[in-house]
Amino acid sequence: MTRDEFKNKILTIFIEDFEFEQPGLDDNLRDDHGFDSIDALELLGKMELILGFSFTREEKEAAMSIRTINDILDYVEEIKESRTQ
Amino acid sequence: MAEMQTPDNPLSVLADRCIDCSVTLACWAWFIFGFLRFFSWRYLFFALFTKDPELSFQRLNSQFYRIFFRIVNVTAPRQRIEIDDEVASITSAVVVCNHLSYLDPLLLIALFQKHRTIVKSRFFTIPIFGWMIKKSGYIPATSEWPFSRIMIRQMETMESYLKSGGNLFIFPEGTRSRDGKIGKLNNGAFKIARMYKAPIYVLQLRNSDRLFTPGKFLFNTRMRNTIDIKIIDRIEPDYQNNPPTTSELEARVRQVYSERKL
Repeated sequence: MTRDEFKNKILTIFIEDFEFEQPGLDDNLRDDHGFDSIDALELLGKMELILGFSFTREEKEAAMSIRTINDILDYVEEIKESRTQ
Repeated sequence: MAEMQTPDNPLSVLADRCIDCSVTLACWAWFIFGFLRFFSWRYLFFALFTKDPELSFQRLNSQFYRIFFRIVNVTAPRQRIEIDDEVASITSAVVVCNHLSYLDPLLLIALFQKHRTIVKSRFFTIPIFGWMIKKSGYIPATSEWPFSRIMIRQMETMESYLKSGGNLFIFPEGTRSRDGKIGKLNNGAFKIARMYKAPIYVLQLRNSDRLFTPGKFLFNTRMRNTIDIKIIDRIEPDYQNNPPTTSELEARVRQVYSERKL
């Protein structure tokens, strides 16, 4: 799955499941949309379904400091790369 | 003599204060010496010799606070606690409740043997107490390091915990109400209910603030008072076919409280 394809899926989740209105790729998810740690865990669960693998606890912990959608895309690419090595 | 019975009489006020002070001290004595003498070694046993002490800790917490409220009943007989049987029989649910006093979480811990709750993160850093609430499976309110690990672990097992009969109780206001009115609701409880497809019970708790008033150190025991808890709504959404949004759940809970003039 390309970065763009994954981005579109993530945007759909933010709009349909988290009720975001017009999320921007560099919006601060917490400050601009009230996205909190429980949302982050729910999102991680949905991302696991899309990506077809489970995140480790350490990867989930690292995800807690993510602030923007672009950060999410970078984070997923990093994890995918580390798993292919 | 009749004059001495009036509440403004200095002697009567002093006597009331002495009784309040005695009851408060009895409760603190239980907190400290009751814990050390009767409970500390039991907590230690389960921490050392069981693989997963969470449920044992929760049961002990529940027993500890049941005894605490018995002491309140005995030492302050004008205080009554009335809890609907159906409240005590709640299982496998997210339970939300209005928040009036520091006694409220203790009441719910006493009520539910199998419970988790969300606790202010700073409590996790208090020696012994922080260790106990961590072992009890309670969840820190924030996910910043070093609390993220605890939170993730507890949330990973939340679905099975709820399915096995456990309750997650939360005070969605996050703080005690100072005027009895319901405050702004944090929607974490509704997010968790939605995520794990759990029913939501909405509780109304009354008068705990008359016994232990925010901002006061002593219990106010001389006034006749009935603390009660009852279920005012049970929300069981059709998560499969028509899942509600978090804001819909929050709106319904707010509406239920406002119908009760909270």
